[in-house]
Amino acid sequence: MSNILQRFLTISTTDPDDLRKRKILNVLLAGTGGLSVLGAITGALLIITSRQRTAENLLILWGSIITIIGVLVIYVINTRRSGKAASSLFLIFMTLIFTFSDSAEQVSGGRSLFYFAIPVFMASILLTPASSFVFAALSSVIIAVIGLSIDFAPNTPAMIGFFLLAFVFWLSARSLEQALGELRAININLDRVVTERTQALAESFSRERIEAGRSQAILNSIADGVIVFDKKWTATQANPALKAILEIPLEIIVNKDFRELIEHPRLSTKSRPLLYAMMNHGTQPIGFRIDWGEKTLSVGAASVYDNQSQNIGTVIVFRDFTREAEVERMKSTFVGIVSHELRTPLNAILGYSEMFKESVYGPMNEKQTNMADRIMKNTQRLLGLINDLLDQAQMEAGKMTIRTEAVRLSDLLEALHGLMDKSASDKGLRLTSEIDPLLPDALIGDPARLQQILVNLVTNAIKFTDQGGVHIQFFRRNAETWGIEVSDMGQGIPESQLAFIFDTFRQVEGTDTRSHGGFGLGLSIVKQLVGLMNGQIKLKSELNIGSTFTITLPLIVPDGESVLKE
Amino acid sequence: MNKLALIIEDDEDLANIFAEALHGIGLEVENLTDGESARQRLAGGEVPFVILLDMHLPLVSGKDLLQEIKNDPRFSNTWLMITTADARLAEDFRDQVDFALIKPILFGQLRDLVKRLKPKDEI
Repeated sequence: MSNILQRFLTISTTDPDDLRKRKILNVLLAGTGGLSVLGAITGALLIITSRQRTAENLLILWGSIITIIGVLVIYVINTRRSGKAASSLFLIFMTLIFTFSDSAEQVSGGRSLFYFAIPVFMASILLTPASSFVFAALSSVIIAVIGLSIDFAPNTPAMIGFFLLAFVFWLSARSLEQALGELRAININLDRVVTERTQALAESFSRERIEAGRSQAILNSIADGVIVFDKKWTATQANPALKAILEIPLEIIVNKDFRELIEHPRLSTKSRPLLYAMMNHGTQPIGFRIDWGEKTLSVGAASVYDNQSQNIGTVIVFRDFTREAEVERMKSTFVGIVSHELRTPLNAILGYSEMFKESVYGPMNEKQTNMADRIMKNTQRLLGLINDLLDQAQMEAGKMTIRTEAVRLSDLLEALHGLMDKSASDKGLRLTSEIDPLLPDALIGDPARLQQILVNLVTNAIKFTDQGGVHIQFFRRNAETWGIEVSDMGQGIPESQLAFIFDTFRQVEGTDTRSHGGFGLGLSIVKQLVGLMNGQIKLKSELNIGSTFTITLPLIVPDGESVLKE
Repeated sequence: MNKLALIIEDDEDLANIFAEALHGIGLEVENLTDGESARQRLAGGEVPFVILLDMHLPLVSGKDLLQEIKNDPRFSNTWLMITTADARLAEDFRDQVDFALIKPILFGQLRDLVKRLKPKDEI
C-alpha cells in the first residue's frame, strides 16, 4: 500500500525544493481527488434517491466530475512536466471552484469568503512565498467583481485580510525556505566532510596494511634473525630466520621479556652480561658476539623512533657467525703455525750456513764461504717475505699493536745504517741521513715498528734507484708533529700509479715483479703501521728524477725531556 | 771454572746451533729437549750462568718453566733469555726476562751477546 502511494508520489527531479513542492501538490491532488470522488458519488446518490434533479445536486455532481478531471490533468502535468505550472493551475483551479461553489452573496461577503485564504496560503508553499500576494490580489479582484455584479460594495476588510494573510504566509514560508536552505547547505557540507574523512581513513588503512605487509615480507625473507622489542623490552615480533638460528620455537620469545631469552640455558654465561649491558645502556655497541650453544652469533641493535623522535623500542639482529668465527680462529692458528713452523727450520738453515761461514768446523775456502753467504742472504730474504705476510695477516686480524716507549732517534738511524749501508754500497749508492736539530733526542714511539717502516722504505728506495743515493731525514714540523722523509733518485712512479702504490700485493705496472722481487706488501704495511701510529704518509714522485715518501707522526716527548732542543 | 749454559729447546737443529755458538765462547752446554726434563734438571744440580728457554716446549710450557725459574732464588744471578718465533709473545715477556730473542736467532748474534755478559753478582 505504502509502495503504491510512494510510486504515486514519486517524481523524477534533482532539485530538492522542486521535489518537495511537487510531492505536496500530489498529496493535495490526492486529497482533492478523493473528496471529489466522494462528492460525485454523493451527488449521484442524491439524484438517484430523491429522483429530483435539483440545480444544487447537479452542481455537486458536475462540479465533482470537473474537479476529478482537473485533478488528473494537473497530476499528469505535475509528474511529467512542471511543478510550477501544475501548482499555478491547481491554485487557479481551486480559486475558480471556490468562486463558483456558492452564491454570489456568500462568496463576496459571507460563509465562502474564507475559502480564498486556502489558495493564498498554498501559493506560499507550492510556488514562491511572494506568490501569496498574487493570489491575495486575484481573490480580492474576484470578490470585488462578484460583489459589483450583485451591486455590493467591494468587501474592503476582506481584501485587506487577504493581503494581511498573504503577508503572514509570505513571512513564514520565506523563513521556512531559508531554514531549509541553510539546513541543506549544512547537510551538503557534512556529507562532503564525511566522504572525505571516510576516504582518507580508508586510504590510511590500506597504506598501513601495505606497509605492514611489506615489513612482514622483508622480515620473513632475510637470513638474519630479527626480534622487535617495545620500549619495555617485550618482544613484539620475531622472524622465521631467528627460529632457524636459535633453534628454539618463537613462542618462547614473542610476547616475552628479553631477560627470559638472556637467561636461556643455551646462551653462554659470559655472553649474558653483554646482552644485559646492551639492554641497560642507552648507547648500543656497533656489534658484538655471543655464544649460543655451539654457535657464535653476531648481535647488532638499533633503536626505533616514532615521528616525534620518541624511542619506541629496539630491533635486534642476530647473525649466524659460526663459520666466520671458525675461519678467523683457523686464520689465527695458521698465522701461529706459519710463524713457528716456518721460522724454526729457516733459523736452522741460517744458523748452519753462518757456522760454515764462520768456519766453526774448520777452515773453508773462499768459494765455500761465498756459498754460505748466499745461502744466508736468500734465507733472510725468505724470512723477510714471511715476516711481511705475517705482519699483513696480523694487521688484517686487527692484532697488530703499537708499543709506546722512549725512542732515541740517533739509535734508530744508527741501526738503520747498520742494516742498510751494505745493500746501498753494493749497488754503488750513497745512504745519507740527518736529524733536525729542533727535534728532541728521544720521543715516544714503537722502536721496532719505526725501524720496520724505515727498513721497508729504504729497501724500496735502494731497489728502485740505480745511481745517486737515498736520503733519510727526521724533521720537526711543529710543536705537535714530527716526520720522516725518505727520498731517492730512482726511476720514479708514474702519476697513474700513485693512487694504488700503497695497495696490498701491488707493484708498479711495467716493473717486473720477479726482477725486483717481493710481494708488493712493503708499502702497504708501512701505510698501515703509520695509520696505527695515528700518522699520515704522502708520496711525491717524478719520473726519472725520484720519489719522496713523507711520514708525519704525532710528536710526544717522554717525561723529563724538553720539547724543544734549542 | 767453566760457566754453564742451559739450553732448553726442543728443535734439535736450533739446540745444536745455539750449543755451538755458546761452546765457541768457552761455555759448558747442557741441552734439554722438553719441559718435563728441564723441570727435573732445574730442581737441583749446578746453577747455570745463562738459561736459554724456548717458549714452545712439549710436556711443560715455557711460560710455566719461566715462572718457576723466576720464583726460585737460586737463579737470581742467572741470565735469563727466552726464545720464540712469536714477536707478540716476546713483547709480552720482555719485561720479565733479561733478553727476549725473536727467532730467527743468528749464530753470531747469540755468540756476541752472551760473550759480553758478565756474572750478575759482579755488576
